[in-house]
Amino acid sequence: MAEFEIVVNGAARRVDAPPDMPLLWVLRDRLGLTGTKYGCGIAECGACTVLIDGEAARSCVVPVGEVAERRVTTIEGLSSDGSHPLQRAWVEHDVPQCGYCQAGQIMAAAALLASTPDPDDRAIDAALSGNLCRCGAYVRIRKAVRAAARGAAR
Amino acid sequence: MSPALSRRTFLRVGATAAGGLWVACRVGGPTPESGASSFEPNAFVRIDPDGTVTITAKNPEIGQGVKTALPMIVAEELDVDWAAVRVEQADEDRARYGAQYAGGSNSVVENWEALRRAGATARLLLLEAGARRLGVDAARCETDSGRVLHRESGRSLGYGELASDAAALPAPADAPLKEPGRFRLLGKRVGGVDNASVVTGRPLFGFDRRVPGMRFAAIRRPESFGAEVASYREEAALAVPGVRQVVRIEGRGKPTELLPGVAVLADDTWAAFRGRDALDVTWTDPGERADGASLGRRLRALVAGPGKRLRDDGDVDAAMRAPARTLDAYYEVPFLAHATLEPQNCTADVRADRCEVWAPTQDAIDARALAAEVAGCPTERVILHMTRVGGGFGRRLFVDYVAEAVALSKAAGAPVQVVWSREDDFAHDYYRPAGGYRMRAALAPDGSPLAWHKHAATTSRYLFRGNREHPEGSEVFPDAPPAGLLPNVRVEYTAVETRVPTGAWRAPGHNANAFVDGAFLDEVAAAAGSDVVELLLRLLAEPRELPYDDHGGPTWSTARLRRVLEIAADRAGWGRALPGGRALGAAAYFTFGSYVAEVAEVSLDGSGAPRVHRVVAAVDCGLVVNRSGAEAQIEGGVLDGLGAALYGRVEIANGAAVPTNFDRYRLLRLDEAPDVAVHFVEGSSEPGRVGEIGLPPVAAAVANAVHAAGGSRVRRLPCGRVSDTGV
Repeated sequence: MAEFEIVVNGAARRVDAPPDMPLLWVLRDRLGLTGTKYGCGIAECGACTVLIDGEAARSCVVPVGEVAERRVTTIEGLSSDGSHPLQRAWVEHDVPQCGYCQAGQIMAAAALLASTPDPDDRAIDAALSGNLCRCGAYVRIRKAVRAAARGAAR
Repeated sequence: MSPALSRRTFLRVGATAAGGLWVACRVGGPTPESGASSFEPNAFVRIDPDGTVTITAKNPEIGQGVKTALPMIVAEELDVDWAAVRVEQADEDRARYGAQYAGGSNSVVENWEALRRAGATARLLLLEAGARRLGVDAARCETDSGRVLHRESGRSLGYGELASDAAALPAPADAPLKEPGRFRLLGKRVGGVDNASVVTGRPLFGFDRRVPGMRFAAIRRPESFGAEVASYREEAALAVPGVRQVVRIEGRGKPTELLPGVAVLADDTWAAFRGRDALDVTWTDPGERADGASLGRRLRALVAGPGKRLRDDGDVDAAMRAPARTLDAYYEVPFLAHATLEPQNCTADVRADRCEVWAPTQDAIDARALAAEVAGCPTERVILHMTRVGGGFGRRLFVDYVAEAVALSKAAGAPVQVVWSREDDFAHDYYRPAGGYRMRAALAPDGSPLAWHKHAATTSRYLFRGNREHPEGSEVFPDAPPAGLLPNVRVEYTAVETRVPTGAWRAPGHNANAFVDGAFLDEVAAAAGSDVVELLLRLLAEPRELPYDDHGGPTWSTARLRRVLEIAADRAGWGRALPGGRALGAAAYFTFGSYVAEVAEVSLDGSGAPRVHRVVAAVDCGLVVNRSGAEAQIEGGVLDGLGAALYGRVEIANGAAVPTNFDRYRLLRLDEAPDVAVHFVEGSSEPGRVGEIGLPPVAAAVANAVHAAGGSRVRRLPCGRVSDTGV
């Protein structure tokens, strides 16, 4: 065990954990932030996507020891009230079916829009193809990312 | 005039503690006149004095949208604004709500009338209460957007103001239902009621449940199907920091209820997984060790001979003897995993006097009953909360993970959340049965099809559950077209017994048969010098109802199947030349009482692997309750079926599923997802089933398009690029 300070959603948090414990489980089981989901544990499904210093990362394969002093943003911190353009677009387009993958989808899209405010379909595909949706909500995911980009660009 | 009401539907009305009105509606059971009180309510409406309307969602939400669609039905008849409605998820309470499950795409159809009556009865009581308060004749009043209006005087009262008055009135026997033409909410696009919570990461799912003092448990389950724990050493597991306890689980003998295993209980999920990895378990030899390759050879050999004859119209043998042409082809489908993105999990808190369970389940009643058995307490002492479910697809009709959580909480004397890793989930699924299908057809000299002969052999899921009488149940559908459309039709079946667990997988049986029938029909059409759309439209030309002795029957309509095929073909531009090596393929299918035709636009890459650019679906599922939700089910069903057709396959070797994760069991990705255009046939006054019907036709539509694009016939799934399937 070791003690780490990580900055999650703008707040400094101290966690006592083995340094190789993936950030995913620190968030879910130590900090009570269950919005970030477990899907595969090997960075293949994207359900656990968070932002680390603004970039999309698969928290299931990031040891907590590597994020000390870095800024982690989870779905709970994207906006407190669902007002982020992506969250609004997701609701507007009724994207979720079961909804389990959607936090990861939105976080991956947030990283994309932060670096590419007006992405084309190819850029959207490239950024989100590592995020699996078992229900097949892809048609609407694509529409919602486009809509959020347009809305934010206005 | 209101639609006919079932005499077996009854309502109860009363006042809430806060002076509100509630209405519960029951279907079935004895009549009130008989004096018995054991009715089964299946809806619950509450109106508070402040005007808040709360509608209970009775069934599990697995992504199929029933937490939104079922309350919409109540709200429509109640005449309230949807924005004013709060939806609450029910716990399992069969006595109050009746059946609570997600299966057979049944939720809307089964609850349609009862939910309408619940809304209509509440509305009528409020109308009556409003009329009395206003001192006017109820016949001169109407309702709109949560208010009772008396237009002549211009006065109106809100439902909240009338709730306590309404609760004191006797329940009307026969509240009128709206004419479907007057629906204002049903048929509209309504977003899922949990959307705002989903996009902000609120704890909705079973995996998100947190209970004070709870432990996380990971379980080592049999290394091969049917194995038992011979012995185990726990020292290394206990040495992992955070691990509290190791517990042996005795199985219940039935692999559908509780598998034997050794569990590691820990302070967090990571420690539980690491502790489980450190366990040293030896297993008994189960004897039979299934192997995918030899199973495949056996299926093929079996369908070469005779099987159990389920249908035999005309004289197939004679038709096959003297034709202009015969076709003989072998089709094959693999085991599929459900791969729900939320792995199996359950949280249980077993106490001396009660057992509380939070379960992501498709069958709340089974879950509660099994929890009671494992806890060793009466069912009434079990509180079964239905969490939102991160995907079902049939997997969570079995509730083995509920039994695990209850067994471990009981053993530990603490709340326990059982967590399955993704590898666990692939290794101990109840897979879509693998199947082999011999297909034969005979054509007359003019090219018209004379005979159709299908022999299916599968690893029957009914047989796996112990049903030896009807192992063919939902493995093959003897009444499915082209049966009924051709003079000579034979359908045979042979069951193969294996320890490989099998179960329902979205559109059970249909997910395989629609591929086999739809692709072989395309072969028949090509042999006749025609195409599959032209051939099917000709076969379906005469409008009639043909018998269908299975779920969705008792008949199917040639006219409705023809109509969806016409629409899909028209919208997809069937027959037009396409640029860039693209080609179209089509299939039409009847599932669960609904009709779907799909046309896929496909090209082949350098290796001959298909790339699907667009799918057009035409759907007749009766009246559409929630347009956005129904459309999502078709979009999702198409992409689900496409992903399975391209990549889905569970390998079986040495009596176990070959260990895998999403790196080797590929799901469809965003960059492979085509646009899906969905067209609904309008005009019905009764809803049909939606959740599973979009899936079956797509595999055949793609297979047929592959051939049209110059590829070879696809007779074996999956048909995606081999390197992408991980094998």
